[in-house]
Amino acid sequence: MKNQSRAADAFWGGFYKFGSIVLFVALWQLSCAAGLAPETFVASPVTIVKTLGNYILDGSLWRHSSISLSRAFYGFLLSTLVAVPLGFLLGGWHKNFERIVGPLLIFLGQFNPFALFSIFLLLFGIGETSKIALIFWVAIWPILYNVSMGVKNVDPLLVKLARSMGLGRLGLLRKIVIPSSASFIFNGLRLAAATSFFMLIPAEMMGASKGLGWLIINAQINYQIPKLYAGTVTIVVFGVLIDAFFRLLERKIVAWRQPLNL
Amino acid sequence: MATTIKSLRRGAARAARRYGIFFAILALWEFAAKSGLADSVYLPTLETVAGALYDLWVKAFLFTHIMVSLTRVVTGLAVALCLGVPLALLLGRIFPASFARLEALLRIFALVNPYCLFPLFVVFFGVGETPKIAVLAWVSLWPIFFSALSAFKNVDPILVKTALATRATPFSLFRAVILPASLPSVFHGVRLGVEMSFFILIAAEMTGATAGLGWIIHNAGALNQVDRIYAAGVCVVFLGVALNWFTLYLKRGLFFWDERRDPFSTMAPGGARRPVGRGRLAIAVAVFLALMAVGAWRIFEAERLLNDPSTVHEYHVSRE
Repeated sequence: MKNQSRAADAFWGGFYKFGSIVLFVALWQLSCAAGLAPETFVASPVTIVKTLGNYILDGSLWRHSSISLSRAFYGFLLSTLVAVPLGFLLGGWHKNFERIVGPLLIFLGQFNPFALFSIFLLLFGIGETSKIALIFWVAIWPILYNVSMGVKNVDPLLVKLARSMGLGRLGLLRKIVIPSSASFIFNGLRLAAATSFFMLIPAEMMGASKGLGWLIINAQINYQIPKLYAGTVTIVVFGVLIDAFFRLLERKIVAWRQPLNL
Repeated sequence: MATTIKSLRRGAARAARRYGIFFAILALWEFAAKSGLADSVYLPTLETVAGALYDLWVKAFLFTHIMVSLTRVVTGLAVALCLGVPLALLLGRIFPASFARLEALLRIFALVNPYCLFPLFVVFFGVGETPKIAVLAWVSLWPIFFSALSAFKNVDPILVKTALATRATPFSLFRAVILPASLPSVFHGVRLGVEMSFFILIAAEMTGATAGLGWIIHNAGALNQVDRIYAAGVCVVFLGVALNWFTLYLKRGLFFWDERRDPFSTMAPGGARRPVGRGRLAIAVAVFLALMAVGAWRIFEAERLLNDPSTVHEYHVSRE
């Protein structure tokens, strides 16, 4: 009896949370079916699901998505490897470094990745490197920003306490700075992952022959509206999954802290 | 006298510390291009880039393109502000329960990459400027909306209760408590939105426009004019930096009381925080409106230059 009511609670809770999506999709489908939305421009959800099913079955969706995901992943990985240590240095771990390199990094952070993309194309050719370089460039800034903000926001009392107990620099980093800035770091990583995937799509539209962005530009050129919607939905789904993955990771690893809701 | 020299010297030392690294990098660039370390076809020297800038300005209507890009960003941002902030107010303060129901859908909308749906924007908004501005508005809408929403929701409840205890009317509560408490965060969203929409603008201009800085890059790339790619890239960088510094300046002037630390604030240029006087604000608004008027005029001008047989060649190539 109790189990049943709990299931019902979960169901209504889920409906409360995601009901708007269900309602939106239902309205969309109804207006397509009723002919309110012009069929040539607006694909109905059923058509989109059918198209997606076809692409999943013939393997092309997975082929393109895996390429896009691997590009985003490598760029993201590279920027994490560079930006996390750099963020610690900038966050006041090394005052002179901050003073000298800081202004340059702020300036570089304003560089438009797409203006750079054509230069990356010149320097690295049209292969994978230029796209990964673009993703690296896009993803590095949120991580850098958040990590240095996290390091700056470490409670000075904790640092003083640890110092007075004779903790060395490395111990301070491991025991105090990293744990107390962890939620900032995760926030930066999550933002960077989302941005890298978001920006990869235009990059693939401009200079690629594979990947989700290419799939979409191809659909645009050939005016295949269902394919266009299918690609867009795929990107949204991946965006949701990436976001959920990082939130889960944060909850598991930084379990003691309230998640930062930015 | 001695103190003047001393302070001058101190200022120079500070400038050298702050900007020295820029000069170092420029010198490195020049050295690499000159000495043949890097292929000079792909990495032109600084004077070649400067020459291309001059060339673009004189012959290829660079000013028009800059103004077109700027106008697009600012118009998109204005649309996003007009939609995002009232919507956030509505969902954050007036109907918080319905936001809880709508949140998942709105988060999904925020993930939709408008760039993919560009043909549909064209279908709904026609050709010309409107679909581009709609794309930019969509991109900057979500950061503005979500940060405004969390700002409106997170107004210190004690302040609200105190205000209500003094029998504040809803309007005066809004004007005297909620708005001042949440505006800095709203503005943070605006800065994020400016950044995102400027990124996307260049991408959009590179693929589907006939004017703007992104279009220059695209055109120069197609014609293999590497120095022009760099020159237009320099313009994009400076426009981006100028936009960012302008928003930072506004933030410091308007929200000087806001004490939250920007992690890069110690490194970013800019002086002490102090309120902006009315006169200066009026001047800023006037300059801004004038810029927008020039920008709107330049958009028509770009259209005309493109369609006029006597200028279309210059507009596209202008070198030969």
